[in-house]
Amino acid sequence: MILSPEVLTLFILNALFSFFATIAFILSVKIFLKWDTDSTCQAQYRLEKQSFLTATIIKYIFIIKVPLFLFFIFTLDKISGLLTGAMCAAGVVNATTYGTYLVLLKILNLYLFAYWLALHNEDMKHEHQPYTKIKFGIYIALFFLLISEIILEGVMFKAIDIEKVVDCCGAIYSSSAGSYISVIFRVKASLLLTLFYGNFLLITILYFLKNKYIFALSNAFFIIISLITLISFFGTYIYQLPTHHCPFCFLQKDYYYVGYFIYVFLFIGTFYGLLTGLLRTSENEISKNYKISLLFNFLYVIFLTSYPVLFYIKNGVWL
Amino acid sequence: MKNKINIYLIEFAINAILRQKYKSLFVSIVFILLTFLLTSVFFITNSIKYELNSTVDALPEIVIQKTEAGRQQNIDVAEVDKILAVKGVSDAIARVWGYYYFENAGVNFSIVGVDKFENQYKSSLAKIVDTFDLGEADSPLMAIGKGVHAIMQKNYYKEYFNFIKSDGTLKKVTIAGVFDADTQLESNDMIVISKETFREIFNMPQTKATDIVIKVANSSEIATVVSKLRLMYPNSSIVTKESLKVSYQNIFNYKSGLFLALFIISLFTFFIVIYDKVSGLSSEEKREVGILKAIGWRVDDVLREKFYESFIISFFSYIVGVGLAMAFVYIFQAPVLRDIFVGYSELKPSFELPFVFDIQTLFLVFFLSVPIYIAAIIFPSWRVATLEADEVIR
Amino acid sequence: MIELKNSTKIYELNRVDKVVALNDISLSIKEGEVVVLKGASGSGKSSILSLIAALSKPTSGEVIVDGKKISKLSDNFASVYRRDNIGFVFQKYNLIPSLSVRDNILLPLVPLNPDAKDAEEKLALVMDMFHIAHKADAIVKNLSGGEQQRVAIARANINNPKIILADEPTANLDEKLSLSFIEIVKSLKALNKTIVIATHDPLFFNLDFVDSVVEIHNGIIS
Repeated sequence: MILSPEVLTLFILNALFSFFATIAFILSVKIFLKWDTDSTCQAQYRLEKQSFLTATIIKYIFIIKVPLFLFFIFTLDKISGLLTGAMCAAGVVNATTYGTYLVLLKILNLYLFAYWLALHNEDMKHEHQPYTKIKFGIYIALFFLLISEIILEGVMFKAIDIEKVVDCCGAIYSSSAGSYISVIFRVKASLLLTLFYGNFLLITILYFLKNKYIFALSNAFFIIISLITLISFFGTYIYQLPTHHCPFCFLQKDYYYVGYFIYVFLFIGTFYGLLTGLLRTSENEISKNYKISLLFNFLYVIFLTSYPVLFYIKNGVWL
Repeated sequence: MKNKINIYLIEFAINAILRQKYKSLFVSIVFILLTFLLTSVFFITNSIKYELNSTVDALPEIVIQKTEAGRQQNIDVAEVDKILAVKGVSDAIARVWGYYYFENAGVNFSIVGVDKFENQYKSSLAKIVDTFDLGEADSPLMAIGKGVHAIMQKNYYKEYFNFIKSDGTLKKVTIAGVFDADTQLESNDMIVISKETFREIFNMPQTKATDIVIKVANSSEIATVVSKLRLMYPNSSIVTKESLKVSYQNIFNYKSGLFLALFIISLFTFFIVIYDKVSGLSSEEKREVGILKAIGWRVDDVLREKFYESFIISFFSYIVGVGLAMAFVYIFQAPVLRDIFVGYSELKPSFELPFVFDIQTLFLVFFLSVPIYIAAIIFPSWRVATLEADEVIR
Repeated sequence: MIELKNSTKIYELNRVDKVVALNDISLSIKEGEVVVLKGASGSGKSSILSLIAALSKPTSGEVIVDGKKISKLSDNFASVYRRDNIGFVFQKYNLIPSLSVRDNILLPLVPLNPDAKDAEEKLALVMDMFHIAHKADAIVKNLSGGEQQRVAIARANINNPKIILADEPTANLDEKLSLSFIEIVKSLKALNKTIVIATHDPLFFNLDFVDSVVEIHNGIIS
C-alpha cells in the first residue's frame, strides 16, 4: 500500500467523482426511463431541469479527468522512485496485475467521456433533443465503467508492495520478455512502419473521399498501429538507444515531457476521426471533425517521424 | 473560430464577482488560507526531503554494522582488511563516530573522529581535515558546525569545550574553527575531532570502530557485494544507501500523508462552508439570473458564466495562496509550521530550509483545491440557472 | 405572426390557491402591427406578454410565433427564441444597476461570444437611435427613470428583434417622457417591427398608428 500525498489526492478526487457520478447516474436512469419530448406536463419539465444538472456533472467529471489522467501518470512516475527496480511509470503499472488494465480502462473512459460530450453538444443543438435518451443511456453504462476504474485504481495502489522488487521498463518492453508485448518485437520493423505510414496515407485519402465510416475505422486501427510502432520503433529514436522501448519514460523531464504532446496529438486526432463515423451531425460539423482529425494525426506522424530523420541527419546511420 | 475565449463573458464574470463583494471576499480568504497552508506544508516537506536526500547522497554506498541482541556493537578494525579482499570493493574505512548529549542545552551533537592520514569517506570531511588542525593527544582541537558553534556560544564555551568522559572526568578540547558543509542538516550538529581524542572521550579501544563503510567502484555491483558481505557477516546489519533513501522517503510520505488525512477533514469542511455560502442565493442574485434568461441567455450560458466566475475566483485565490506560501516558507522560514515536521528540532540545532521548486507540488495543490471548489458550486449554480425567469423578475 | 390559441394560464400559489391569469384566450397579431393590451393591473395582460416571450408556458393552449409552437420549447430554446426574436421592455426595466449603460445594453450579446468590432457597431447603432450614447459609461443606478428606460429599450433592440414587447412602459414616467416614449414606438413601427404594449395609460388608446386596442378583463378579452 502506498499512501503518498499524490495518491491521497487521487483518492479524494475519486471519492468526489463517485459521489457526483452516482447522483448523475440516478438522474440518468430517471431520464432514460421517463423522457418524453412531446409531453408538456410538470414531470417532463422537472426532468428537463435535471438533465442540465446531470450534463453539468458529467462535463465537470470529464474536464477534471483529462488533466487528472496526466497527473495520474505523473504520480506513477514519482512512485517509481519508491519501488526498487522501477525507473518510470511502466514499472509501477507492471508492479501489480491490475496496472495494465487500469491504464487501458482509463484511456477507454477518456474516449467514451469525450464521445459523450460530443453527443451532448449535438443533442443540445436541436429543439427536440433527439439524443437525450441515448446519451443518458450511454452514461448509465459509462457510470459502471467509471466506478470500475475508481475501484481498480484503489485496488492497484493498495496492492503495490514497496518491498517487492519490480521490473523496470527496460525488462518489460524488450524482445526477451515473455509477455504479449514481446510479440510486437518479433514482427519486422519495416512491416510495422509500412502499416503505420500506409494507414496514415489511407486516412489522408479517405479524408478526400469523405467516407466517414471507413475513415473512423481506419482511425481506430491507427490507434493500435501507432502505439505498436511507438514502442517498437519510434521510442528507440526518442531515447537514442536501440534497446529502450518504454512508452512511459519519455513522459519524464529528461525527455522534455514530449510524451504528453505525443499522446495528446494521437488522442485528439483519432478521437475526432472516430467521431466522424459515430456521430450523426451537420455536414459543417462533420467536415470540421475531419479536419481536426487529419491535422492532429498529421502532427503526430510528423512529430514522430522527425526523431529518426533528425537522428539520421546527425549521425548518418539508423539505429 | 467558435471556440475562442469569450472576453465579454469573462468581463461579466469579473464584474459579477466584484458585485458580490462580501461573498467573494469570504470565499477567497478561506480559499487562500487553505491553499497557503497546504502549499506551505508541501514546500517544507520537500525542502526537508531534499536536505535529507543530499545528506544521504553524501553517504557511502554500503555501511556494515555489527549487531548483538539487536543492538549495535563496535566492530573490529581488523575486519577492514578482510572486506578489502572482497572483489568489487574499492575501499573500506573504519569509522568512529557517535552522539554526545550536551545536557545544559538539551541537544545532541554528532561527533566524528578522523585520522589525518587515512582516506576520508566523504569529501566534505576531507575538506575539514585539510582546513583544520586537530591537535595532539594532550592538546586536542576540534572543528565544529555552525549550529554547534551557536549553542556553545550561548553556554559561554567560547574557546573550548569540556566533554564528560565515560569515567566521569572532564576532557577539555579547544575550538579550532567553524566549518560549512554541503547541507545544513549534516553540518549543523557536527563536531570533528581526531580519532585519538574520540577514543579517549568515549573509552573506545584502538582495535574497535563504530562501523565500517565500503565503497564500490561500479554501482551496479553493489547488490553482489552486499550478498557476499551477508555471507561473511550473517549477524551484522548491512545498510545500502538506496535502502536508506527509500526509508527516508517513506517517513516523509508518511508524515505528509498524515497531514493530508487531517487535510481531508478540512477540505470537507471547506466544501460545506463554500456550499453553504454559495447556495444561499440572495434575491438580488436570483433576479439577476432571471433578467439574463429573460433577455436570451440559455441555461448553458448561465452555467458557463458561473463556471467562469468560480474558476476565476478559485484560480486567483490559488495563485495568491501559493505565492504567500512561497514567501512564508522560503523568506520567513515557515515559523511554527515547520516545527511540526522537523520533529527533532528540540534535539538538533536548527537549520535553514533550502529553496526547492517542484512543479508537481503546484499541481497537487491545484487538484486539491480548484476542483473541489468547483464541485461545491455545481448544485447552487444549477439551481439558479434553472430558475423560472418569469417568477423571479416580477 | 403571433397567435394565441385557446391559451389558459393558471398560477398555482400553493396546493389550494390558484389564480387564473388567462382564461381561454385567442388572439392574433399580424407582422408590423402595433397592438395595445388595455387593462387594469392583474387583468392578465402581463401574462400575455410572458407567453409571447416564452417566459412562461400556457397551462393549456398554444402560442405560435412565426409558425413555430413556442409554447413547447425547452428552457434553452425558449432563451434562444427570445434572443433572436424578442425585445422585451420590462416595467421595472430589469437592468443590472451596478453595470454601466454600455455593459447593460451588450448583455444579450454576451453569450454569443461576439466579435468586438461587430458588437461595438451594434451598440453604437442602438445607443444613437435611443439617445443614450452620451451616457455610455455611466453606471445605470445613477441614471434617471427616463434614461433607464431608454437603456432598456436599447438593450431590447440590440439583436434587432422582430417583436418588441413593452410592459407598462409609462408607469414610472412623467407626461413629457411618456410622449417621447410614444415617439420611440412610432419610430420602431416605421422599422416594421411588431409591437405589443401592455398598459393602462390612456395616452395609448387613441393613437393613430396603433392598429388595435385589445381590452383584457379578468383574463378574458372583452
